[in-house]
Amino acid sequence: MSTVNTNVSEFLQDATLFLAPDPEIMNNHGFAPRTPLEERCMAKESDPARLAIVRERLMAGANESFEMLENMGAAPGAKWGDCVSAMFTAAGDLSLASTGGVVIFVNLVQYPIKFINRYWAKDPSVGIREGDAFLVNDAHYGQAHNTDQSLMMPVFWEGEHVAWVGATVHEGENGAIEPGGMPSIAEQVWDEGLRMPPFRVAENYRLRRDIVTFLQNSVREPKLQYADMKVKMYTCRRLEQRIHEAIHEFGLEAVVSCLRRNLEDTDAEVRRRLMEWPDGTTRHSWWTDGTLRENALIKINLAVTKKGETLTFDYRGSSPEFSNRANNTLDITLKGMLSQLMLAYVWPDLPRNQAVLNSVKFLFDEHSIMRPAPSAPISQCMMSVFTSWSVAQVSVMKFLYSVPSKYTRVIAPWYCMINTFLFGGITQHGEMVGNVCADINGMGGGALADRDGQHSCAPIFATMADLGEQEFMEEEMPFVQLVSKKLMRDNQGFGRQRGGMGYQMMLALRDSPAWGFMLTAIGSKFPNVPGLFGGYGCPTYPLARVRGVDVFEAMKTDPGRFRFSIAEMMNERPFDDAEYSTHPMSLPYALASRGELYMIAQGAGGGFGDPLERDPADVMRDYEEDLISPDVAWRIYRVVFDRQTRIVDEAATAQARDTVRQERLAGAMSYDAFCARHVTPEPPANLPYYGSWGDPGTIYGGGPDRCFPAGHANSPVVMPNPMQVKIEALEKQIAELKGAAK
Amino acid sequence: MRRVSVDIGGTFTDCFLVWDDKYVAAKALTTHQNLALGFNASLTQAYGQLGLSLEDVMADVDSVRYATTLGTNALIERRGPVVGLITTAGFESTVPLSRGRGYGEGLSERMRKDLPMAERPEPIVPIPLITGVRERMAQNGEIIMALDEDDLRAQVHRLVDRGAQAFVVSLVNSVVNPAHELRVEEVIREEYPEHMLGSAPILLAHKVVGRKGEYARTSSAILDAFLHKAMYLGLSSLELNLRENGHQRPMQVVHNSGGMAQLNSTDALQTIHSGPVAGIAASEHLAAETDLGNIVCTDMGGTSFDIGLVVEGGIKFYDYNPVIERWMVNIPMVHLVTLGAGGGSIARFDRLRQTVAVGPQSAGSDPGPACYDKGGREASVTDADLLLGYLRTDNYAGGRIVLNEKRAASVIRRTLGEALGTDTIAAAKLVKQRVDNDMANGIAQELRARGYEPSQFTMLAYGGNGALHACGIASAIGITRVLVPPFSSVFSAVGAGNMDQLHIHEKSLYLQIYDSVTRSLLSRFEGFNAIVAELEAKGRADLLRQGFAETDIEHRLEVDMRYGNQLAQTAVVVGRNRIGNSDELLELIDVFGRDYGKRYGEGSQSPEAGIRINTVRVASYVTTPKLRFADILPPEDSLHGAPEAEAVRPCHFVGVEGPIETAFHTLEKLALGAVVTGPAVVISQSTTFLVEPGWRLSVGRYGAGWLQRNEPGSGGAQ
Repeated sequence: MSTVNTNVSEFLQDATLFLAPDPEIMNNHGFAPRTPLEERCMAKESDPARLAIVRERLMAGANESFEMLENMGAAPGAKWGDCVSAMFTAAGDLSLASTGGVVIFVNLVQYPIKFINRYWAKDPSVGIREGDAFLVNDAHYGQAHNTDQSLMMPVFWEGEHVAWVGATVHEGENGAIEPGGMPSIAEQVWDEGLRMPPFRVAENYRLRRDIVTFLQNSVREPKLQYADMKVKMYTCRRLEQRIHEAIHEFGLEAVVSCLRRNLEDTDAEVRRRLMEWPDGTTRHSWWTDGTLRENALIKINLAVTKKGETLTFDYRGSSPEFSNRANNTLDITLKGMLSQLMLAYVWPDLPRNQAVLNSVKFLFDEHSIMRPAPSAPISQCMMSVFTSWSVAQVSVMKFLYSVPSKYTRVIAPWYCMINTFLFGGITQHGEMVGNVCADINGMGGGALADRDGQHSCAPIFATMADLGEQEFMEEEMPFVQLVSKKLMRDNQGFGRQRGGMGYQMMLALRDSPAWGFMLTAIGSKFPNVPGLFGGYGCPTYPLARVRGVDVFEAMKTDPGRFRFSIAEMMNERPFDDAEYSTHPMSLPYALASRGELYMIAQGAGGGFGDPLERDPADVMRDYEEDLISPDVAWRIYRVVFDRQTRIVDEAATAQARDTVRQERLAGAMSYDAFCARHVTPEPPANLPYYGSWGDPGTIYGGGPDRCFPAGHANSPVVMPNPMQVKIEALEKQIAELKGAAK
Repeated sequence: MRRVSVDIGGTFTDCFLVWDDKYVAAKALTTHQNLALGFNASLTQAYGQLGLSLEDVMADVDSVRYATTLGTNALIERRGPVVGLITTAGFESTVPLSRGRGYGEGLSERMRKDLPMAERPEPIVPIPLITGVRERMAQNGEIIMALDEDDLRAQVHRLVDRGAQAFVVSLVNSVVNPAHELRVEEVIREEYPEHMLGSAPILLAHKVVGRKGEYARTSSAILDAFLHKAMYLGLSSLELNLRENGHQRPMQVVHNSGGMAQLNSTDALQTIHSGPVAGIAASEHLAAETDLGNIVCTDMGGTSFDIGLVVEGGIKFYDYNPVIERWMVNIPMVHLVTLGAGGGSIARFDRLRQTVAVGPQSAGSDPGPACYDKGGREASVTDADLLLGYLRTDNYAGGRIVLNEKRAASVIRRTLGEALGTDTIAAAKLVKQRVDNDMANGIAQELRARGYEPSQFTMLAYGGNGALHACGIASAIGITRVLVPPFSSVFSAVGAGNMDQLHIHEKSLYLQIYDSVTRSLLSRFEGFNAIVAELEAKGRADLLRQGFAETDIEHRLEVDMRYGNQLAQTAVVVGRNRIGNSDELLELIDVFGRDYGKRYGEGSQSPEAGIRINTVRVASYVTTPKLRFADILPPEDSLHGAPEAEAVRPCHFVGVEGPIETAFHTLEKLALGAVVTGPAVVISQSTTFLVEPGWRLSVGRYGAGWLQRNEPGSGGAQ
């Protein structure tokens, strides 16, 4: 480089206005090349048996620190498993995550660490020193969404920077436009609350009180902000301590080599396993049904190609970004989620680190819902990333079905949506809070080839998560789950093996001067997950409300009126003057009145195989357990039985099933005939449709009249404010009425 | 002191007889069809060694104490009545859903991570036997919805029609206000009076557990109800057996809380894991008698490795949400961790790391390790120990099992050596190294998570494989002293002989002792003290019922404290039985802060977030006379070199190239104070001591072995 060029480069660097997320960092999900330190250590220490022992020692430290985090954390997310801790290489690659907790969180922490390494380490105004701690929550620098906060600490040994450690918690409240940290009405990133790039919050192992105060002043739960920063810092200190002890015992070379080998060994094993898969492509598309502000059909398009030792997830052809809606995600978030897919549903025996994706490639359209512009809000990224994950689960399961060497079982899609309440307000103890219920962990499991799915078991993003205990919740919060855990009849992904079912919840505010709820889930019109190999997907789920009643008064004065199921409550309408309504599960934060009812259900996992093949005895067991109605036993499973004795008429059942099969055959047509009848060149005009229709290179932005080439931002999708739409419609009506009156 | 204590395990019934200054151990096969037969056989062996008669023993011993795995076996075999559960309407699926995470409770980390394989255990109460009654209590005890008795009667009839033979009643917030649970019991009795043959037992959850947490409390009550009959029949037949043989005092049953009580004051659930807990109690007593300081108790058997902690200062480690088989409960249980590592643990080639991994799968006892020659085709830890030269083929397990060395070599070569590209000895060394390190890691994690360093601890090693792997485990984490305790093969029975009478009662509460929003400390203590008094009264009643004098009864007050809204609850021993003023409150806050800081790091305390008490716990106890173990370690002046080895054979050791000529001794032939320098193997009737290079063994009384690591430069190491 010439002197002139060097000078220009230096000038431009010195005159940088703002250090935005670095594309070079954010676009690379693979691990870094070996550093000189790693080369040096690996040359000296390579005994696999010894390194395995070091690894187990470090692993014990990671698990110990996770236990600390879960126990000490004050956020509901920490208490019920929505957190994680991990060790990273000095270059910032995730090498060793705790066995419990959310792997996506730490998979994303590599990015802010790499940012710190690149920008702050050499910056004389910042630097990194032993005892420093850095905090981040802005997803654009590497978090799932801004409600999570990660604290990172560099680990030094004899003055040399040798590793990083980190701890992440879904904190909830972050000062966003709505309480709880996941605003659905955010129209721009500045509505999403705190936007912390990685920045130093502690020096010499002490949190800086001025910074803590600033952050406390910016959120609704200052107590939580303070307490959990401290918790994360001491979790990191414990990780650092365990690394130091391991170095002391085994030597620096062994520890550095171990962290590095963990990545390289995992990568090699993944490649070996991918070689066991057949080469080929599987495809799957699915749709989400709204932005949380309005109904829309939003496409997630995926083709998964396996060739040699490489797997490619091609999401091109998916929906365009929404410029002023919070349901966009970032590609890094999706990559992190897919590491969870591979580590929990495909190869659960592998170590939890980022190397599982090292041989995986990704293809996205620019300005798609997975690669939005930096200004597009993403606080409700779950609305697109979870569906994208489920689409990937189906595609990968199709591969696994054909692989002789399996490391777990082929499974129908796990339910993927957060059917839970967020809340905010003043508790009965006078504290202001804003957060989320642990029911977020109540997703139903998918069915297997020979086994039904597990009822409300775990969220897709974590193992051993916890639904908690209501008695503890009620002790701290002013609302009561009058129906808390009750499986909802017919809420099932039907199939030869049925999916795990979800439970229903009916809750009401009891004891607060000011309190509100919000709900941020999709799937009220279009199911969130499909089934597999002929199994049904999950049902759709509404939010049901009963207003104009105080159920607590009613339960005192006329308790017989209360109904302990959503179906009975909504069908029988026992309170005379109350208002009964159903809505999409996308309720913006709204103040609640004492005793009005909010009701939702957790979702069911997908079914596996044709329901007509389900063993009638299994159908009757579900009936006996009140999981299905007689109507479903007949209409879906075609089981004929005596209502009084509950004895199955085997012959009549076989006959009924055979009749359905004959009807299916009678209605069958060739592929070409099917296409001729159903395939149209573009989406219907009356459908708010987003994404490709056939050709993934052409993207529709709301209807057939709005289409553009994939990857272009020349036609941003901007949605009107639903409130404004409503006002305009009302004004129009008023004008018409006035006109008519004249 | 004259006393009999017994530990009835799945395979053996261990007996420990104390007759004045004589201590005798005996073992017999457990007779599952009638436990009394196994008990009598082991007792007969014991008193036979002293030339006594059964009548003498039964008439004169002050107590007969039992620790038993009877309950665990009943649970595994699902032997119990059909239990019907009555819960609050709207909570019918609380137990089936088991907080979501119930799919993985009691399983290995590997299984927990595997979501497609997630499967909850077969339920004890199937869904059709769960019913919700129309009622609701608020968190502060106010009635939200009165109990609908007509609905209740209909639900009870429905459960009876479905075959319920026992009822569990567990209603939300019943620990705050139990009125509805009590009324449910009355209604059931009105419908099915006790004098009728069809009357079924009723168990109210708030009486089983006093703490909040509707799932874990219900789960506890269900297990209690399910095990009640089997435990009662099993233990009462033992009590009858005692009476028939002339023992007129009530039998004592060991509890997993670390104490014991008469049968009529014992919940079935309290007996689960009582054997291992008795081992920890024995360790605690031994440590106190011999000034060992902090100890970590380890029990390495064929399939598992149990770890318990005993530290100085009277600090107790409890699990407040222990997992029993696959279910989370919330009774206080002495803390115990079990790892899947033992002699039968299977070793396999780890392709990812290009080395050996061990467990948690086990070859069990059938087929057992390959060297048992019973069809085992996978390499195990015992196979490796045999190849390394530590075990003799003809005297393993007292000569009861003849080992096949060729078989061991064959499977290690086939399953490990070929993949590793090493010979069988190198592969066997990797197995030994890995399993020792895995167990060492388990210990380190347990200690460090509580703020302790392994090097501050003495390790107690018992169980069939404890003495064989003790040096390897200890070396891996810097422990330099290991005691293989006296009577190590019946150590839980020894522990049962040392228990005190103890009852623990708890109550949940929401008590802010420091409100950080208003910056105010609790100033009125009447409510808190009233709860303490209530719990003391319960404990006192338990002990008075068993005939103890009120003057002998003592109480220990503990509280569970937390900062702000944390999940962590630190159990703090209050040090007094009432709190009377702010100074005493600040003292408690200070103790809490110190305990918390020790565990989570000094400076991690967060009083700024507020401080709460969530549980009050009172342990009521009567101290009983203890066994004397002060002289089990060899006195300094008795130490002397061991006699010439009975044999010298080549053995292989981790970290040492090639075989080392190793001395073999028989423990029973070594005198008190004999010092055996490693490398050496000392074989006793019940176990094998492996004295690794760099270690030495001093022979103590009653078969105790004192293993010490040589100081660098002491010349003892080879």
